Amino acid sequence: MLTDSGRETAATSSPTRSNRPSKRLGLIAFIATFGGLLFGYDTGVINGALEPLEEDLGLTALTEGFVVSILIFGAAFGALIGGRLSDRYGRRHNILVLSVIFMIGTLGCVLSPTWEVLAVFRFILGLAVGGASATVPVYLAEMSPAERRGSIVSRNEFMIVSGQFAAFVINAIIFNIWGEHDSVWRYMLLVAVAPAIVLLLGMLRMPESPRWLISQGRHDDAFSVLQQVRTPEAAQAEMAEVEALAEEEKLTQVGGPIDLSVKWIRRLMLIGIGLGVFQQFTGINSVMYYGTQLLADAGFSSSAAIVANTLNGLVSVLGITIALKVMNKVDRRTMLFVGFALITIFHLLIGLSAVLLPDGTVKAYCILVFVVLFVFSMQGTIGPLAWLMLAEIFPLKIRSFAIGVCIFVLWIANALVALFFPPVVAAIGIAMTFFIFAGLGLLALIFTTQVPETRGRSLEELEDQFRANYS
Amino acid sequence: MTVLVAVTDTPEGAHALTVGKEEAERLRTELLVLNLSLTEFAPTEIAVASGVDVLDRAGREARDPAVAVLDLIQERPDIERLVIGVKRRSRVGKALLGSVSQRLILHSPVSVLAVKNE
Repeated sequence: MLTDSGRETAATSSPTRSNRPSKRLGLIAFIATFGGLLFGYDTGVINGALEPLEEDLGLTALTEGFVVSILIFGAAFGALIGGRLSDRYGRRHNILVLSVIFMIGTLGCVLSPTWEVLAVFRFILGLAVGGASATVPVYLAEMSPAERRGSIVSRNEFMIVSGQFAAFVINAIIFNIWGEHDSVWRYMLLVAVAPAIVLLLGMLRMPESPRWLISQGRHDDAFSVLQQVRTPEAAQAEMAEVEALAEEEKLTQVGGPIDLSVKWIRRLMLIGIGLGVFQQFTGINSVMYYGTQLLADAGFSSSAAIVANTLNGLVSVLGITIALKVMNKVDRRTMLFVGFALITIFHLLIGLSAVLLPDGTVKAYCILVFVVLFVFSMQGTIGPLAWLMLAEIFPLKIRSFAIGVCIFVLWIANALVALFFPPVVAAIGIAMTFFIFAGLGLLALIFTTQVPETRGRSLEELEDQFRANYS
Repeated sequence: MTVLVAVTDTPEGAHALTVGKEEAERLRTELLVLNLSLTEFAPTEIAVASGVDVLDRAGREARDPAVAVLDLIQERPDIERLVIGVKRRSRVGKALLGSVSQRLILHSPVSVLAVKNE
């Protein structure tokens, strides 16, 4: 009691001192989320760059899918390797290395003479994207105090979609100025160097994560970092908490593949994998990567399609913003079910518009509206929700292994959709492709009935329920 | 001396715990329990194991349960017997995940009592 009230008076009596650490934390979050922004920019920039690129380097539907998806395959491996490296060498070190890889990858892509070279550098860029997805949220969570952790980490998700939106907008501007240049796609890709430079220069001045320092036994270093980002009183109090969290972190790494021999754990693993796969099989990223071409196929001119495509980026940002606000007020299962239902309806409407309407402006605008509504429903529900649920369905002791496997499978599912979307559309058309997505959506609705409700329930309750139901 | 029971999250594991306790009583010796599951024991298992030392797997090194057991035997020279529950496994299951029991029986430096649950 005494120490508590003593702490309060000390904090209120020196407002300037307590204000500075919070500003410093704000700056750290701002700089680190450039990792998320780059993740979004580099995955989104191909959308709009693809059509001039296709003409310049002579891509077919097959090589186009290959060049786009190889970044995502790279990200799958980047997430695995990045997680390991950030545990060994530290979060800050990892983000610095990533910012350099982002630059090398981007410049390599910009200067590619052939699509084969482009593919190699897109793979390298993918490693950085995956590494950023595994490191930046962890760094942010470990830097922020418990009460601000949720909002600072979700800012990263917001930055990812903002990065995609920014890429769409900048592509549209560049295309409308230099559209007739053969190399216009190179200018579009080059822009991504700027945030990578900000990330590199910014992170050089940011501190290492205190939790990681403690996991390495560097308690004094951890304390001096906490003093920078907390009030002096809070820093002292938080050392104990960070040490406890570092211990808990070790516990999450206990379980491994052999624990899948237990039926209820295997069952949870399948549910986690299902969440990742069905999130990607909504086809969200076929719009985020190929939206401009999709709209051109629907009947827009090239320059109108690239402008209309920015709407996909805009509603994506709006959707995530709303989802992050309502996510904890609605049951997870309800939100999943509503999400998949809406998405399936819009898939059907896109397909029906493509089949039934005569070619022309009406058809083009109908498809645009339904695609935009699909993107909004997706990012407003399942997009962020699947990530949240992956973080909370697994027992503590197998969490590290289980989440690692689920995220790897999620990236692979993402890459497969990106790889096959262009050749499938070329072979059977937009309508049939979206009818296939609608079919996958129906499977997802059936899958949703198997997902446990996790909102407002302790892990112990969940474990007991699962053990009882499935062993 | 000490009898070590390795308990998994299965009916065989629970059975091994009961048999291990009887074995320790028969040999008039200490019982040590290693919980190989990822969660707390179920209530009946807690009742059986009450009053004895229960250890949990800890750290990344214990990701493989067989390694966790063998490391513990290495660390504690007083352990002179290991009790485990075994079960027939499908060929596919064994091919995918291997058999922890088989590795323990082959590599344990102390005698192993393998109990079937029937």
